Formats: sequence, C-alpha cells, structure tokens
Amino acid sequence: MSFLIIQSLVNGVILGLLYLLMAIGFTLVFGIMRVVNFAHGEFYMLGAFAAYFAFAVAGLPYPVAVAGAFGGAIVLGAIIERVVFRPFRGDELSGMIASIGLALILQNLALIAFGPDPLSMPSLVSGAYNWGGIILPKSRVVVILGSMVILAIFYYFLMHTRTGRALRALVQDREIAAAYGVRVELMYPLGLALGAALAAMAGAFMAPLFGVSPFVGGTPLLKAFIVVILGGLGSIPGAVIASMLLGLIESTTSTFFGASTADIVVFALVIAVLLVRPSGLLGHKEA
Amino acid sequence: MEKSTAQTGVTQASFWTVGRGAFALALLAAALFPVISGSTFHFHIAIMICLAIIATMGLGVIARVGQLSLCHGAFVGVGAYTSMLMVMRLELPFMAGVVAAVVVTSLVAALIGGPLLRLRGVYFVLITFALNELFRLVMLEFPGLSGGSSGIANIPAASFGSLVLDEKATFYPLALISAVLVVALVALVDRSMIGRRFSAVEENITLAESTGIATARTQNLAFIIGSGIAGFAGALMAHYIGFLSPETFHFELSVSYIIMLVVGGRLALWGPVVGALILTPLPEFLRGAMEFQHVFYGVALIVILSFLPNGLVSLPDRLARLGGRK
Repeated sequence: MSFLIIQSLVNGVILGLLYLLMAIGFTLVFGIMRVVNFAHGEFYMLGAFAAYFAFAVAGLPYPVAVAGAFGGAIVLGAIIERVVFRPFRGDELSGMIASIGLALILQNLALIAFGPDPLSMPSLVSGAYNWGGIILPKSRVVVILGSMVILAIFYYFLMHTRTGRALRALVQDREIAAAYGVRVELMYPLGLALGAALAAMAGAFMAPLFGVSPFVGGTPLLKAFIVVILGGLGSIPGAVIASMLLGLIESTTSTFFGASTADIVVFALVIAVLLVRPSGLLGHKEA
Repeated sequence: MEKSTAQTGVTQASFWTVGRGAFALALLAAALFPVISGSTFHFHIAIMICLAIIATMGLGVIARVGQLSLCHGAFVGVGAYTSMLMVMRLELPFMAGVVAAVVVTSLVAALIGGPLLRLRGVYFVLITFALNELFRLVMLEFPGLSGGSSGIANIPAASFGSLVLDEKATFYPLALISAVLVVALVALVDRSMIGRRFSAVEENITLAESTGIATARTQNLAFIIGSGIAGFAGALMAHYIGFLSPETFHFELSVSYIIMLVVGGRLALWGPVVGALILTPLPEFLRGAMEFQHVFYGVALIVILSFLPNGLVSLPDRLARLGGRK
C-alpha cells in the first residue's frame, strides 16, 4: 500500500513537470498579450512533428531536434502575432475567438500535410530504474531532466535578464511599462513567440512518450487550461503550484479510483475554484 | 452640398429597401430550394441549417448580455438526452419530450446561471469550456442514461398522433417552422424592455447596474432563454438523427456554433441565420475534404473578426457607407 502511495506520488510529480512546461507558455502569453490561446496545443503538436522529422527521419541528434523545434516556433509565433493577433489588442474576447480559428487552421494544415495516422517516435533510452519497488522509466527521466533544464533557463531569462524584466513589467502594468521604455511592439511578438516555443519544446520532449499526430495537441492544451485556471491566469508561480497539484491529484485519484474518476474530480475542482476564486490560487484580483 | 447629402440619403434609403427585399427573397428561395429540387440530400442540408439556426439563435441571446458560452453544445445535449429519455423510457409522445427538453435545459441554466454569470469575459468562457468537458465525461460515466461511448440508436422519429415525420421531406416543415418561431421569439425579445436591458448590460454592466437594472437577474434571464432554445434544438436533433452519443456534444459542437454566430454577426437578429446558412452546407458538400473545410472555417473566423467585427450582416451597411463616402 505504501509502495502504491509513493509510486503514485512520484508519477504525480512527473506528470506535474510535464504539465508545467505546457502551462507556463500559456500563462505567459495571457499575462503579456491578454489572449487565452486556444492554439497553444497546436504549437505543441508542431513541435512534436518538428522533432519527429529532425530526429527520426533526418537522423539529427536529439538536442538539435529540440533546438530546431524551438527556433521554428519562435519565428512562427512572432509571425502569427503580427498577422493574427495584432488587431485584437485590448479585446480579450475577440483575441480568444481568433485563437480558436488559428487552432483550427494549424491542426487541419497539419492533417493535410502529414495525414491522420499517428507516427511513433523512437525512444532515446529504454528500460527503467527500480528503487526498492518504485519504478521509474528511463525515457521519463530524460523528459524530466530536459524539462527541468528548460524551466531553469527560462526562469533565469525571466528573472535576471533585461528582456525578461521587460516582459514581467508588461505583465504587471502595460501602460507604466511602456512609459518606462519597454518596447511593447517588440515584446508582444516576443511573448507569443516564447509561449509557442515552450509549447513546441514540450511537444518535442514528449513525442517519444505520447506519439506524434495532428491531434496530439488537444490533451496538453486541456491540461494547460486546467493548470492556469487553478493557478491564476497570467501567474507563473501559480502555474508551478497548480501543475504539481494537478499531477498529484490525477495520479493518486487514478491509482485508487480509476482514470475517468480522476478526470471528473479535476473538472469539478476547476469549476469550484473558478466559482470561489475566479482569479485562481495565486492570480491577481480582477474580473 | 446640401443637395448631395440629400441625394446620398435617398440612395442609401433605396439601397436599404432593395437590400432588405433581396435578403428576404434569398431567404425564401433558400427555404423553398429543397422543396423545388425534391432531393433528399437537399432536404437533409436544409434541416441541418434549421437546427443550426435554432441553436445559434440561443447562443446569440446569451451573447446579447456580453457573454460567450462554450458549453452551448452541452445544453443542446441536455435537451437531446431529456427528450430521448422521455420518449424512449417513459413512452411519452414527441411533443412532451420537446417540452420536457426545453423545461429541463432552462432549469439547469437557472440553477447554474447564478454563480456562473458572476464571471465575465474570458473567465466565463473558461468555466463554460470546463462545463462542456464535464458534461461529456459525466455522460460517458453513466451509460445507463446515455448509452455510454457506443451511444443510443433507434430514437423514434418526431410524431404528432398518427402523423409520423420519419422522412426528411416530412420533417423539414417542422424544422423550418421551428426555426422561424425561434427567430420570431428572439425578435420579440429584442424589441421588448428585456432586450433593451440585455444590451444595456452588454454595453456597460456597471452603468446598467447603477441605472437600476438588476444585472444579475438580466444575465440569468438571457442564459435561461438561450439555453432553453439550445434544449429545443437538441430535442429536434435527437428525433431527426435518431442517434445520440456523448461525443456528438463534444467541445467542437460549441465551437461550431460560435463560428456561425461570429461569422454571421454576434448581436444581430439575422446573424445566426446568415452564419448557419453559409457554414452548415459546407461540410455536406466538402465531405471528402474535412480538413480543407476546417481551414476555411478558421480563416473565415479570423478574417471576419478583423475586418467585419459585427459579422457578415454588417457588410451591406459597410458597403453603403463606403459608397456614401465617395
């Protein structure tokens, strides 16, 4: 029994880290652009495809594949900000509807280009660590280490560089940030580009675990949604806490009551949080 | 100078009468099209358009208080399941099923509307998105009610006494009359005091509140009317298609209603009609190329949002103004 509990806690933390990688870009985009980005999952999907073609087809080393997904998403994200989202600045609702349209476009273009059949990405490593009965697949360990490195770099960038400070200032107050010389015209595309790139790297990392197909973006988007609602839209510390919470709730509930019960419990929790504290656990008060 | 403005005034007025006449004629032609062609395929498309008009009208009522619901598809589902259960389990007549569907969806909306509508903007969209997922998951969890993932087939066709509307050509008049009635109902709401309260809340909820409008109750009312209409659409849908599965009421159904509403015109009476008329036939004609059609939906949505935020319905007005400026 205690093995079961520890195993499910370990699984929960792993899940939580994966969710965090997805949610942090999503919440950053909302914080900077005030857009609830329904197309976030499609950037995950594109990242998974990029990694698949670079690693499994072209035979490039895995880190190069991830870097390729990152670079591609940065460019694509910046272009999309200019073409799609620019007219909707200051209009949260229209921006969100536009992102639904964007998600439809990206997913179905991928469907046209790559077909509906799931592709399987070869694992980097096989086997599992076994510590006194607690099992940890090596492929997951790789993903976790990769995620942690990316999150650490991102944290450093956001907290200790000039651009990172500018982005945080923009999240706090756009007008004052602009008055202090933050170049909003550069930061908006950068915000979406970074969000897209984080999602694409998540896709590249998780492709060996969850496969590659035009539809793989749906579930990670949903998880990012849940994390961000629980933690507060636009709050990065909130996303950290909420993704760990979500991972732990999912793995413990599904270990003891089954996977579909876990889903229902999570959605009920989401609705409860939205009703009691719409701004989330650590979000700013508004709405 | 005065003369020229007077002249443009005249041309604009005549433009409008001509435009309205043409619109009414086009609607009539569209409504009669399947009857003239006699093709079952055209009847099917016309029925699907009517059902989409009804559901999207309901979404439009909720949009009139400034809220965008992403669980509209789930309300269509509640209506569909209610009517199906009434007719198949309790063996009640079709009409009783429809009435029950409207009553139950309105009641559900009344129950959850209070706490839900305290949230506005993107937060309301997020919670309704979560509710739509919850509905689908719960329906999958209770196969006794919903048939689970394999769904429920052989739902009896719509009938009034001995008159059974089990063919597309016979169901179409019912669908058409229902759509006309729903449009008329929404037109009535728009012209009434309630409609003015709706738009006051939509434009500025704080100001509306301070002028003595009970904003919470007004929003609830819009949510109840809109969801009741969704339930009505669901009941018709269940007895027309004859098959229900929780996957029918996936989040994508809600999204399709939003696309039709936004493309047609978010707050205009005829917006849902125009949106449904243009976007419903596409999947039927482009069967082989679903993905191209979805790309088209996405592009249409973004283009309309950017250049015609009030939807296609506002296009003649835009053109007239452009013409007047010259």
